[in-house]
Amino acid sequence: MSDALDAFMGHVAEKHGGEREFLQAVGDVMSSVIPVIDRHPQYRKAAILERVVEPERVVMFRVPWMDDQGVPQVSRGFRVQFNSALGPYKGGLRFHRSVNLSIMKFLGFTQIFKNALTTLPMGGGKGGSDFSVRGKSDGEINRFCRSFMTELFRHIGPDTDVPAGDVGVGGREIGYLFGQYKRLTNRFEGVLTGKGLDWGGSLVRKEAAGYGTVYFACEMLAAGGHDFKGKTVAISGYGNLGFHALQKLNQLGAKVVTIADEEGFIYEPDGISGEKERYVQDLWSVHRKNLEAYAEKYAVEVKPGRPWNVPCDVAIPTAAENEIDEDDAKALVENGCRLVVEGSNMPCTREAIGVFHEKGVPFGPGKAANAGGVAVSGLEMTQNSSRISWSRDEVDHRLREIMSRIHTACLETAERYGAKNDYLAGANIAGFLRVADAMLQQGIV
Amino acid sequence: MSKAVSEFMEAVKARNAGEAEFHQAVEEVVESLIPVLDKHPEFRTARILDRMVEPERTILFRVPWMDDNGKVQVNRGMRVEFNSAIGPYKGGLRFHPSVNLGIIKFLGFEQVFKNALTTLPMGGGKGGSYFDPKGKSDNEVMRFCQSFMSELFRHIGANNDVPAGDIGVGGREIGFLFGQYKKLKNVFEGVLTGKGINWGGSLIRPEATGYGCVYFAKEALQTRGESFKGKRVVISGSGNVAQYAAEKVIELGGSPLTLSDSSGFIVDEAGIDREKLDFVMNLKNVKRGRIKEYADKFSGAAYHATDANADHNPIWDVKCDVALPSATQNEINEVDASNLVKNGCLCVAEGANMPTTPDGVNVFLESKILYGPGKAANAGGVAVSGLEMTQNSMRLSWSREEVDAKLHDIMISIHKTCAETAEAYGTPGNYVNGANIAGFLKVANAMMDQGLV
Repeated sequence: MSDALDAFMGHVAEKHGGEREFLQAVGDVMSSVIPVIDRHPQYRKAAILERVVEPERVVMFRVPWMDDQGVPQVSRGFRVQFNSALGPYKGGLRFHRSVNLSIMKFLGFTQIFKNALTTLPMGGGKGGSDFSVRGKSDGEINRFCRSFMTELFRHIGPDTDVPAGDVGVGGREIGYLFGQYKRLTNRFEGVLTGKGLDWGGSLVRKEAAGYGTVYFACEMLAAGGHDFKGKTVAISGYGNLGFHALQKLNQLGAKVVTIADEEGFIYEPDGISGEKERYVQDLWSVHRKNLEAYAEKYAVEVKPGRPWNVPCDVAIPTAAENEIDEDDAKALVENGCRLVVEGSNMPCTREAIGVFHEKGVPFGPGKAANAGGVAVSGLEMTQNSSRISWSRDEVDHRLREIMSRIHTACLETAERYGAKNDYLAGANIAGFLRVADAMLQQGIV
Repeated sequence: MSKAVSEFMEAVKARNAGEAEFHQAVEEVVESLIPVLDKHPEFRTARILDRMVEPERTILFRVPWMDDNGKVQVNRGMRVEFNSAIGPYKGGLRFHPSVNLGIIKFLGFEQVFKNALTTLPMGGGKGGSYFDPKGKSDNEVMRFCQSFMSELFRHIGANNDVPAGDIGVGGREIGFLFGQYKKLKNVFEGVLTGKGINWGGSLIRPEATGYGCVYFAKEALQTRGESFKGKRVVISGSGNVAQYAAEKVIELGGSPLTLSDSSGFIVDEAGIDREKLDFVMNLKNVKRGRIKEYADKFSGAAYHATDANADHNPIWDVKCDVALPSATQNEINEVDASNLVKNGCLCVAEGANMPTTPDGVNVFLESKILYGPGKAANAGGVAVSGLEMTQNSMRLSWSREEVDAKLHDIMISIHKTCAETAEAYGTPGNYVNGANIAGFLKVANAMMDQGLV
C-alpha cells in the first residue's frame, strides 16, 4: 500500500473506529483512486476524499412492533444517506439479522460509485434493519414494515431519497412500505422502486441485473472483435440473476453449460436451452426445488464442487460472494476461459482477480457489470416522474445503452489513467470522478 | 448484580457494541429499577425498559466548514432524540474532541430521567460534535456553527426538539446557531435555550444550577429539622454553579468556607461574605484570575495547592455541615466521602454532574447522611431552560423574582418526589433510588398511555 493510501486510511479508521466492512470498502475504492488523484490537485484542496467518506446524513431509529403473540418487539432501523452530489439518495433496504451501521455504510459507500457509473441522476444510500423476515408471519412483516416506514417517511421522497429492495426486502415488503408511505403523506409518488407492475413498477426490472451483465459481457467481447455466437459459457447461480443471464445468453446464441448451487453443479456439454431453460426458470422460483430435481428429470448427475473446472470461453459467476478463489481462477484460465464477468456482488476473491490480470484475461467487476439492476430502478424513477410506463422493448433498449456507456466509461478511464484494460480500476476511477466533479462544483456542503 | 439485570445488560451491550459510557449509564439506572418492575408487571409486558434504552431517533451528519487558512475541514454532527414521551426532546449540544456516539447516548439517556424530575414537559436528547472550539477564531466557530445548523435545522423546532448549550457551547455558539436556524426557516421561535437576554433568553439562567442545588439542600435539611442558618458549607469549584450556590447560601444565613479551581482551594474560616464573593466574581468572570488570589487579598484565608499524587482531596477534610461539590466529575472518592462523614457532614448536594465516584456514593448511602445526586440536585439548570421555553411560547419575559420563585417551587417538588418515591419503594431517605425511580415512572407511564410507538 502506498504511503498516501496508508495515511488516508489511518485517518478514516480513526473517525470510523471498529467499522470493519466500511473500512474495507473505502480501502478498495481508494486503492484505485489515490494513485491518480495527484492529477487533480483541486480535489485535495477541496478535501473531496475526506468529505466523500463521511455520510451526508445517517438516521437510526427505534422500530417497535407487536408479534403474533402480542409481545412488543424492538428493532433498529437505519438509513444512510451517503452522497447526493449526482441525484437523490438511492439504494436498497436490507432486513437481515446481520445488519449494523458498518454494513450499512459499506453498502451505501459502494452504491455511490455504482450509481454514478449508470450515468443516471442517482446519489448513493442504503438502509435497513436488524429485523429478520425469516420465520415471521405475513402479519408480522406487515406490522414491522408499517412501523419502519412510520419513521422513515419523513426522511425520504421521490426527489430526496428513493429506497429499493435488497436482502429480505422483496415485492411484498416494498408493497407494505409503499402503502404506509402513501397513508402518512397522502401522496402517490415514486418514493420506492421495485414496485408491483400495476402500481408504478417497471417492466424488465426483474431481468435487469442478468440481462445487463450479459450486455456488459457483450461489450467486452466486442472490444476484442468477438460476440457470443457459439461461445461456451459457465454460470453458477440460477436465481433471478442467473436465470436471466442464461436466458439472454441463449438468445444471443451462446451455449451455457453449467448451473450450480451449494450442493454442486450440473454440466451439460450441449447447453441448457429450450425446454431445459424453461425448466430452470421455474425450478426455484416456482417449484422451490434444487438441482437434484433437474438431475433426475434430465438424467444427469449433480457433480460436487464448483463449476469452474469445465472448459468454457466465458465465466459469469452469478451466485455467492467469494465463489471463485485463486485455484478456481487458475483452472478457468487453463481450460481456455477468455473472459470473466461478475454477475453477483464480489464473487471473485482479490487473489482470483490477480490471476485474471496476470494472465491477461479481461475481468468485468460486478460494480460495473451488474449495475443494470439499479439502472432499471433509475428508469422506474423516470417513468414514475413522467407518469408513463414504457414497453419491455423500450426499457430493454435503454438498459442495453446504459450498459454500453458504462463499458465505454470503464475502458476509456482505465486507459486515460494508465491502467489499460483494467476494468476494475476504470470503474472505481470513473465512478469517483463523476461524484468528485459534482461535489467540487457544488461547493463546500 | 441480579440475573435479570445481567441478562438485560448483555442484550444492551450486544446491541450497542463499544459504547462503554452508555452501558454504564443504563446499568446504573436499571439496578434501581428492579423493585419497580417487580411491582409493575405491566411494564415488563409492554417491554418498556427495552424500548426506553433504544433512542427514538439518532441523526449523524457531515459538517464541512472552511478554516481561516482556506482549508476545508470535515466534522461529524450528532443529535440523539432519545425519548419524547413527556415533551419535546430537550438536552444540550456539546462541542468537544471527546464526543462520540456512546457519550452522546449516555448523556441523552440520563437527560430523559433528569428532565422528567423537573415536572416540566421535556423529553430527553443530546447532541454535539467532536469539533473543538478551543483555539478556533470567532469566525471559524461561526462558520462551523452555521454548517452544523444547516443540517440540524430540519430535525429540531420549538415543539419538537429544543437543544441547549453544554461543554464548548456557550452564549456565543447558541447565538450563531440561532441566527442560522432563523435564516433557514424564517421563523423566530424558542428552538434553543441559553439565548441572550435581549433575544429570548431567561433571567436566572446563569444562577439556576447553583440556586437550585441550594434549594434542594434546604429541603433535605428540613427533613431533619435543620436549616442553612449558621451552617458551615464547603463548596468546590468557582464557576457559575459554585458562585451562585455561595450567593444563595449567604442569603439563607449559611457560611461558605471554601472555593476551588484546578490549581487548588482556599479556606476562609471567617466565612465568604457578600463583599468577598463580589471579589471572587470579579476575579473569575472578568479578570480570569486564579482562586489563589483570594488568599492574597483576605488575610484570614489559607490557600492549599492541588496535589495530583494524593489519594484524597483535603478540601473534603474541612469540617463542615453541608458540602456542595460544584466543580467536576469524580472529585469525591471513597476517602473524601469518609472524611466528610467522619467530620459530621449532614448533607451533600451535587451541583456538578457525577462529582462523586460510585464508591463514594456507597459511603454516603451507608452512613445515611442526606445525599442529593446531581440528576436531582442540579436539575435547576435544565428547569430554567424549560422556563425559558415557556416564556418563549407565551411571548413574555418573567422578572427575576418570578423565575426564581418558580425555580424554588420546582426544586421543592423534585425533593418531595425523590423523598416520597424512595419511601414508597422501601428505601426511605435514599434520594438516588428516589430520583431514578421517580424519573422512570413518569416516563414509563406516559409511554404506556401512548401505546406502542
